[in-house]
Amino acid sequence: MGSGRRSLFAGLAASLSGTAAAAEPPVPSRGIGPRWGMVVDLARCIGCQACTVSCIMENDVPPDSVRTIVNTYEVVKDGVPGMAMLPRLCNHCNEPPCIPVCPVGATFQRDDGIVVVNADVCVGCAYCVQACPYDARFINHETQKADKCTFCAHRVDAGLLPACVESCVGGARIFGDLNDPNSTVRRRLASEESAVLKPELGTEPRVFYLGLDDVLAHKPEGTPTLWRPQHQEGI
Amino acid sequence: MPQITEVIGISREIAWLPWAVTYFFLIGLSVGSFLLSLPHYLFGRPGWERAGRLALIGALACGMAAPVALLADLHQPGRFWRFYAHPNLNSWMAWGAFFIPTYLSGLFLYAWSSLRPAIAADAEDRGILAPLYRLFGGRALPWLSRAAATVAIIGACLVLLYTGMEVMVVRARPLWNTPFLPVQFALTAIGGAIGLALLLDRLLGGHEAATEARLNRALAMVLGASMLVGAAWFAIGFFGLEARHAQALASVAQHDSFRITAFEGQAALALAILLALWKPRGSGWLTGLIALHAAWMFRWTVFIGGQSVPKNAPGLYDYHLPLGPSGLLGIAGSMGLLVFLIILLDALMPPARTRAAAPGEALPGRA
Repeated sequence: MGSGRRSLFAGLAASLSGTAAAAEPPVPSRGIGPRWGMVVDLARCIGCQACTVSCIMENDVPPDSVRTIVNTYEVVKDGVPGMAMLPRLCNHCNEPPCIPVCPVGATFQRDDGIVVVNADVCVGCAYCVQACPYDARFINHETQKADKCTFCAHRVDAGLLPACVESCVGGARIFGDLNDPNSTVRRRLASEESAVLKPELGTEPRVFYLGLDDVLAHKPEGTPTLWRPQHQEGI
Repeated sequence: MPQITEVIGISREIAWLPWAVTYFFLIGLSVGSFLLSLPHYLFGRPGWERAGRLALIGALACGMAAPVALLADLHQPGRFWRFYAHPNLNSWMAWGAFFIPTYLSGLFLYAWSSLRPAIAADAEDRGILAPLYRLFGGRALPWLSRAAATVAIIGACLVLLYTGMEVMVVRARPLWNTPFLPVQFALTAIGGAIGLALLLDRLLGGHEAATEARLNRALAMVLGASMLVGAAWFAIGFFGLEARHAQALASVAQHDSFRITAFEGQAALALAILLALWKPRGSGWLTGLIALHAAWMFRWTVFIGGQSVPKNAPGLYDYHLPLGPSGLLGIAGSMGLLVFLIILLDALMPPARTRAAAPGEALPGRA
């Protein structure tokens, strides 16, 4: 059943024709410890937003913000319409553009590759928010500091999966150690064609997509959604 | 080309608020005004007395008001000490925390050392403030004026450099990521400073037609240079001569709001240049306001407009100016502070006079 459902979605994705330029499988870091990364199998994503909600609940994200969301698009190719899901989150890049711009060194990369913000040091200047090409960061209105996906570092450190992975209905989000040749993420990346978002920027994302359409690997141009929830400041 | 319709998406609200626009506007005006004061106070050029005084008032008032807006943008002004406790010197913003005090220290010292003889000469007319004027006034110290001016000039260049580079290095926003941006920031800042001096010439007592004409001629040159830079940016992007510029133009050219703003901006600059050249005496009100408007609108379009272009979504994000501190109230408050400081400085600063007329004063550089 699992493989059948997967074939169905894979077929739908293929019907949109043309996947994004393949990303090179990650080269294992020289470090001894893990290098966490994520593989998103788009054929398995149904856009249910369970990941979005579980992330909000797990990380106490303010109601007007998200650390991850599944963008949903209608893509018409050669007259054939199809739905495309694209879960977005921090890419925990190998070359994160958010880190060098931080004026106080509040944002940094752990040895395991997870990019985090030290809220005790962050001044809320939002420079990192500007520098992130994936729009993965925002200013938290309750703390007035930079906020972002941490791969649920607190859960990972306790041996658990990130909340979004744990709650993913279709098993689209796969989390694991990119340094471990036997991990699922490494095996999937070795056996299937993967892509990353905006590879031309040289950020070397560590969130890989399987079955990513090329038109969605970059900023999609088209018709915007009619309504986008947004925080509004009162007087 | 596939057709894409976004079905589910969110807006990322702007993260650099109108406070940032206000800061860049004021610090740019301060630096530009300081540079405009140099012909009189540093080089002793005849005919620049009034322009120099007006420019110095603008430099000091904007220089004092600008950091207030910058601190407000941190949401909690007390956070500023972390810039010095934990500086990340890979960040242009971190360097700014050192460049701003360098510039402002040099500016204040330059102003004080340049005005010492005039302050002393003014003491008798200051009533109960006379002791203060005697305390701060004194004979000219040309070496101090030169040293302070040098520090302030270096600081001013560093401020222009960092404010431009800080924005330019953001590759995630194509509109910001071209080397034309720092140049245009600098030119519009100097143009705005000349505009401020033209406005102050009318608002503060002692209007001089010759000063107005001199400032108008300088304004026409600076605005002309600004238009050329804008045209070069557009041409490189339009003809696809360089990928980054083409990307920058493409990110905004499809949106009517940007097209209208660009047309309006260029038309306003052209009008100001024509007026300044055609009627250099008498047009200061209008040319000054247009130059200030251009400096503000350029920063508003770059910051607020630039952030309304989504990084990962089609269309534009909506932006409505909030009425509270993060919006209209913040802008009005900053401008209110600026007006207060201008009035205060105008009341306290000695009147403009030719440098030879100041008793006991030797011209800097000629002592």
